[in-house]
Amino acid sequence: MWSRILRVAMLTALWGLGDLQVTTTVKPGRGKGSNWWGIAKAGEPNNLIPRSPGMVYMDPSVLTNLRKKQKRLVRENPGVFLAVSKGANMAIQECQHQFKNRRWNCSTRNFFRGKNLFGKIVDKGCRETAFIYAITSAAVTHAVARGCSEGSIESCTCDYSHQGRGTHVPPNAVTGIRDWEWGGCSDNIGFGYKFSREFVDAGEKGRNVREKMNLHNNEAGRAHVASEMRQECKCHGMSGSCTTRTCWMRLPNFRVVGDNLKDKFDGASRILVTNAESETGKGLSRRKRNRYKSNLLPHNPEHKPPGSMDLVYMDPSPPFCEKNPQLGILGTSGRMCNETSIGLDGCDLMCCSRGYRTQEMIVIERCGCTFQWCCEVKCNICRIKKNIHTCL
Amino acid sequence: MPGVILENLSGRKLFVLVSVLMVLLVACFLIGGLVAPPPSNAEHFIAIKCFDYDNTSWFYTRGEGRCNEYNLHYHIDIENDQIADKVVFVFQIPTPKDNIILDYSRWQQNLIGVLSFEIMYDGVFEMPNDVLLTMDVKLGYRNRGDKDYDWKLYASSTVERHLDCSIGTKKKEYNYNCSIVPLFELGSLHHDYYLLNIRFPVDQKTQINTNLGDLEDLGLVAINQNGGFTVVWLILKTTFFPLIILTMMWFWNRVHQLKRSPVLLEYMILSLGGTLTLLNAPFEWLTLYFDLPFMPLFIDIRQGIFYASLLSFWLVFAGEHLMINDPQPHHLSIYVKHLSAVAIGCISLLIFDLFEKGSQVTNPFYSIWVTSLGTNLALTFIICAGISASIYFIFLCYMIWKVFCNINVKRSSLPSMSSVRRLHYEGIIYRFKFLMLATLTCAAMTVIGFILDQVSDGRWKWDEHIEIEYTSAFLTGVYGMWNIYILALIILYSPSHKQWPSDVDLISSAGDEIELSRISANEPNEISLLTSLAKKVSGD
Repeated sequence: MWSRILRVAMLTALWGLGDLQVTTTVKPGRGKGSNWWGIAKAGEPNNLIPRSPGMVYMDPSVLTNLRKKQKRLVRENPGVFLAVSKGANMAIQECQHQFKNRRWNCSTRNFFRGKNLFGKIVDKGCRETAFIYAITSAAVTHAVARGCSEGSIESCTCDYSHQGRGTHVPPNAVTGIRDWEWGGCSDNIGFGYKFSREFVDAGEKGRNVREKMNLHNNEAGRAHVASEMRQECKCHGMSGSCTTRTCWMRLPNFRVVGDNLKDKFDGASRILVTNAESETGKGLSRRKRNRYKSNLLPHNPEHKPPGSMDLVYMDPSPPFCEKNPQLGILGTSGRMCNETSIGLDGCDLMCCSRGYRTQEMIVIERCGCTFQWCCEVKCNICRIKKNIHTCL
Repeated sequence: MPGVILENLSGRKLFVLVSVLMVLLVACFLIGGLVAPPPSNAEHFIAIKCFDYDNTSWFYTRGEGRCNEYNLHYHIDIENDQIADKVVFVFQIPTPKDNIILDYSRWQQNLIGVLSFEIMYDGVFEMPNDVLLTMDVKLGYRNRGDKDYDWKLYASSTVERHLDCSIGTKKKEYNYNCSIVPLFELGSLHHDYYLLNIRFPVDQKTQINTNLGDLEDLGLVAINQNGGFTVVWLILKTTFFPLIILTMMWFWNRVHQLKRSPVLLEYMILSLGGTLTLLNAPFEWLTLYFDLPFMPLFIDIRQGIFYASLLSFWLVFAGEHLMINDPQPHHLSIYVKHLSAVAIGCISLLIFDLFEKGSQVTNPFYSIWVTSLGTNLALTFIICAGISASIYFIFLCYMIWKVFCNINVKRSSLPSMSSVRRLHYEGIIYRFKFLMLATLTCAAMTVIGFILDQVSDGRWKWDEHIEIEYTSAFLTGVYGMWNIYILALIILYSPSHKQWPSDVDLISSAGDEIELSRISANEPNEISLLTSLAKKVSGD
């Protein structure tokens, strides 16, 4: 059995070498901050290759996809690469989960052909792109905060300033004990937020309306993670009474963040393309300060301007029915659909009224499983006759 | 005996004394609010999963010889053995921050560990609402300077806990909402680094952990006292400790200067001061040098003794002002019936605490709430304590009501006295009520402060720059308040040595400056003027 594992490990390593020949071109349309998504394919987790927590396991080619600032961040924060990689994978999984019943199903492309991970769809500033940016940014925030909690990122910062003690009575003067001993620290989400801003927004200067859209959606994704933090408390006073109580914030389950972002996707606001362009002329000096404070105007002047948690887009979505190589759209031909549903996964809508094929197939499924909390699900194998509908 | 200081103090002097004490109280509140950090800090850790390939003794995630992270979703089938038994959830705390390897400091006093579960609903198997978990837990420690692999065993145990989970949206791949599960309490945070290895073994035959759902993540919330709070708290205690001792010595000295043996109320005041001194004694300094896991139990017991003596004092105080026509010197024995409620309440809490915290001295994973017998036992003791507390307060209120009735009866006979004497008596009654009022104010402030603490989220913004750490301010404020209350009690109720002026002198002295005085002092065993007042009036 061990020999088998070793063989697989070697294969994986070889596959990894294949990645070395990556070259990327940056499309001018999409903003330059999106190439880091490729990290998702770098550290795909498996148990075949022993990996220590926090260890940077990657092939160097992945780094070439990063911007200079992103490379610096990875270098300065050991352990963060793995977290970002986990985050990117989490984003892909979540996106595909949320969109599994839609015409566009968040398909990712083979990375090592030098293309963007999500395909050319991100060249267009449509809703789908808005969602991709938001979910990836949220996932990095989440994963980095998680990395801090695991202790696999050693550079997580503590915000001691809100304790406000350093200014009044310097603790060192009293007893010589350090900040952490003095007042504790639990600000992992804060670090995740800040890191995500630095890393994910690295390529977005906010100079044109597309970059502003990306920035807004990235920021919205992060805000959704922060807003879903939940407070929990424990009483530990005399004899376990509630005379002293301590509370902490718990990181949300990423599925909840995905659900909320999907809701925002459905109600995303379309913004005016022209308004931000006019602002670009004035003040490159003020750019940095105003990066997150651009006032995006709605496309329809009667609508409210988008809030900080809303997703924004500028172009209408292209039709996803037919294959469109120019936009990297696969089309719905060959997708499975649900004959009885009247929703988007129903055969009528999914197949764009082209009709569908019904086949009777024998499906092998696992059934009668005995369940254990981890890893082991002992099942019987059942053969079930099923009607499978696929779009023409 | 000419009475107690309270009765002989001029209005101005009393005002000055009360003002000084109030300033002290505000200082206690502010030192907690402005200097101290929040009392405790909670940090949320997430377990890294490791796989036990060859019965390794310790799994740790940082440093030389660390384990390899295991991904539950990409497991490989090891045919012959159960995987679940070999997955180890590892917490190595504290985690590094700002590229610095942090270690726990002894200033942080204690550590409470609480587990939080992230369990995914897989769409097929639904967990029951209440799951009995069985965990193999090992807690190890290491100190600075030790080798990375040199973990030493602190405690290990197979522990059972109840996990309550519910699911809101019953959809596949959504998580349950699970309650937090208390895991351990360390009474002394003596070492620098701690390591927790947890396993969830599965046994189909004995149905161990078979109901546990798809465990995605395990979180640990580690709660420790903040070092800064310990510093402030110890400074407060160390300040009050000699202050109360000196006051007590002064008090006892005055009592002994009298030509009579001390009365019951004086003994009560002395014992109250004594228990407060025990509470103030800053034994916590020792925890900076020695490993004292029994400290939380000791702190609870000290607090319990203090409360018992304070409650007894109130009862005796009211009682001593009630039985006005009894010429015999009083002993505590006549209050046995009254005090039994206090005794029963405190003893039941003590037994409960000895079970819970006492067991945690040797086994930090022990919890009385796990077994149904333990839960029932604990609830019995707590309910018992609650009932005795209610009985006590009803009885105390009844006694205070009777005292006030008595005062009113005596007061109705006041108009028949001369105007100077009437003024004089009214002043005394006023001052007695003043102390009653002080007690009620202290109690009310404690209760209001506590409610505010529960409602607010622990921090008040005064303005842009000043933030008040409310929880700490509340704790130091209340602690200071009861110290000051007892300090005032000892001072104001110590016997006065003033020689009393005659009625004629009284008339000649003017308005505000009147030194309130007693008229006759023929009974040596009387303490308060009120009792003699009653005698006087009944004599009249």
